[in-house]
Amino acid sequence: MDLLLEGFQTALTPQNLLFAVLGVLLGTAVGVLPGIGPAMTVALLLPVTYSVGPDSAIIMFAGIYYGGMYGGSTTSILLNTPGESSSVITAIEGNKMAKKGRAAQALATAAIGSFVAGTIGTVLLVLLTPTVADVVVKLGAPSYFAIMLLALFAVTAVLGSSKLRGFVALFLGLAVGLVGTTTGQARLTFDQPLLADGIDIVVVAVAIFAIGEALWVAAHLRRKPLEVIPVGQPWMSKADWGRSWKPWLRGTAFGFPFGALPAGGAEVPTFLSYVTERKLSKHPEEFGKGAIEGVAGPEAANNASAAGTLVPLLAIGLPTTATAAVILLAMQSYGIQPGPQLLDNEPGLVWALLASLFVANTLLLVLNLPLAPLWAKLLRIPRPYLYAGILFFASLGAYSVNFQAFDLGLLLAFGLLGLAMRRFGVPVLPLIIGVILGPRLEEQLTTALALSQGDVSTLWGEPVAIAVYVVMALLLGGMVLRGLRKPEPVAEAPQGGPESPESTETVEVGR
Amino acid sequence: MTATHTPPTAEETRPARLVDKAQYGLAAFLVVVGAYTLYDATTLEDGFADQPVQPYAVPYVVGAVLVLLGVLLAVATARGDVAEAEDGEDVDLSAGSDWRTVGLLTAVFVLNILLIDWLGWAITGALLFAGAAGVLGSRSHVRDLAIGAALSVGTWYGFYVGLGIPIPAGVLDGVL
Amino acid sequence: MTIVVGYTPDTYGRAALQHAEAEARERGERLVVVNATSGQSLVDKRFAPESDMAEVEARLADLDHAVRHEVVPDVADAVLKVAAEEQARLVVVGVRRRTPVGKLLLGSVAQRVILEAACPVLAVKPD
Repeated sequence: MDLLLEGFQTALTPQNLLFAVLGVLLGTAVGVLPGIGPAMTVALLLPVTYSVGPDSAIIMFAGIYYGGMYGGSTTSILLNTPGESSSVITAIEGNKMAKKGRAAQALATAAIGSFVAGTIGTVLLVLLTPTVADVVVKLGAPSYFAIMLLALFAVTAVLGSSKLRGFVALFLGLAVGLVGTTTGQARLTFDQPLLADGIDIVVVAVAIFAIGEALWVAAHLRRKPLEVIPVGQPWMSKADWGRSWKPWLRGTAFGFPFGALPAGGAEVPTFLSYVTERKLSKHPEEFGKGAIEGVAGPEAANNASAAGTLVPLLAIGLPTTATAAVILLAMQSYGIQPGPQLLDNEPGLVWALLASLFVANTLLLVLNLPLAPLWAKLLRIPRPYLYAGILFFASLGAYSVNFQAFDLGLLLAFGLLGLAMRRFGVPVLPLIIGVILGPRLEEQLTTALALSQGDVSTLWGEPVAIAVYVVMALLLGGMVLRGLRKPEPVAEAPQGGPESPESTETVEVGR
Repeated sequence: MTATHTPPTAEETRPARLVDKAQYGLAAFLVVVGAYTLYDATTLEDGFADQPVQPYAVPYVVGAVLVLLGVLLAVATARGDVAEAEDGEDVDLSAGSDWRTVGLLTAVFVLNILLIDWLGWAITGALLFAGAAGVLGSRSHVRDLAIGAALSVGTWYGFYVGLGIPIPAGVLDGVL
Repeated sequence: MTIVVGYTPDTYGRAALQHAEAEARERGERLVVVNATSGQSLVDKRFAPESDMAEVEARLADLDHAVRHEVVPDVADAVLKVAAEEQARLVVVGVRRRTPVGKLLLGSVAQRVILEAACPVLAVKPD
């Protein structure tokens, strides 16, 4: 408790409060803007971290993370264009509500639900992180190695519709992570002295998230403007409150655990929440036509899962979403290694971050409820400027790392890779996670084997490691079984196939 | 009314077995990257005595798996696997891809890379912004250049004064 | 003869349409309504929703009329092009008050139409 209060003291200094406000506003803005997400924004802002203090930067990024979630729901409701997969469900009922003239109520229940879920999620985060870190810190290198393998496996194979493409992305990332001379010998450096220190992950992240996305959008610009639904001040009637508060709490209960799991993400809990609310609602006939419960629940689940993803990030050093991965990069650029030791080494920073999450959450509610009509105006920015701006800031970010034109070349090369990945439906998250975790995986393996003097059996010599391998085997077995049940996956099947069994399965769980 | 029905029928009448030839390119890319990783691994020597994991161990695994994935992807492509291209908030997949714009944007970017050492960020940044905006369909080139120049000079000073990051000024050294 | 009107779903556009319609009815002329967007931003409030255009259509049902509702590279060029194609006798545009700085930043479709059209242009202000 004392530590948290100290954290609030750090988070509430005028300077850090300013960064929190900046983060929240920026996060909401990019959430609203088409084509820019929180991961891209944090990646573009990484250069800022070189000169601002770590606490200020991390506090700002936390604001962007939470703000981005909120902004995404605004466009889902007003435009029916869910920017991220996690707001797809919000768009279903939210946009219907808006079309019925209840945009203000939809925005209000999304905002207040996000606040409730974010606050509860952050409380859980505060309670859980030290406990998890205490457990993890006692684990040896073999267990740690196993957990990282599980995270890589889960992010690659469980998320996304095509496992093959997931692994393609992961192994490309691992290959990028090999570049450099960390082992004492030059690996994959093409005798290029500029590659001796490895490829800067900042450059890779900016390229994949920003350049790749900008080029991909440039190839497919929507030309016909969408119809935006005009919105006034968000507000809710008493009846709306009555119908919203239970879905908020249930959504939180779904969202947080899934976020905290290595491969949980926000899609499954938002979907589960939606199905549950449809079943429990007293107005099931309204579902599909704009039921407020269908906005309140998923939106709460979405934000609670965002809080949940910070548990593995802070306690184990495992990023499980794109934004978490980029926040991890920011921490690394300060020489801070997230992981079980983080709480002992940098207690001030962690508690400041946790406190700032409460601050960011409150700011979101206070600032954004009145500002909603203003955010809708952002959609009028001409796209040439928007995407030219992304290219501009991405180049600036990559160039300011070392002032090398060579880095800009890398940026373009990886940007084109990012474009190709989007074209071929290869997910980008496994690649980034592979680049980040690959070298650490090798390091843990080295540590484990050095301690055991080369005895490989040490890798399954710890109970936790065994448990993790069992989980992985079960996941793998499940995948194989599912593959067998569905013979001849030719032609159309790989498209819709892997997705539909998953969703039907989640429906069963929901019922 | 008929307009709303066109997209789905267009989807349905699409030949069921459509081989995405471009995907062979991705498969080939994977094989090449994997093969090079394997070749690179063979050039590595045994590590020091305190290195239980040889420097070439991980590259061998990664390279081999990449080659395997490339082959698997090629097989899947031949069997009719079609990529599910990423949809997005601002992406209209139904209209086909406009690769000319991408090519022009890449050209603008390459120009930026070639000129940045000589002209410096304050100039090439403005050109990058104006060029990209022009390629993306902006019609008012003077305004684009003005915004680009304001952004690039502004960020140059912002980084120099505000963040203490001295971005090389290039040809404008002494002017800025 | 033909009258071309640059329409936007706001008071300016409605004023222009009203005048153009009155003119066309009085003289029994053909009326072409142009509502276009460059499609550069995700949302363009000057691009009329389908429902709005349907209302316009319904209102002009008894007149010889045409509606051009399209995405074009440049809105002013589009109005001028339609005027040339139709060999318009008159182009009607709604004008708004805009500061010199605003004009520099946002440009003005009406101004370009007035300056570049080959035929007379009627600039209408809402009451």
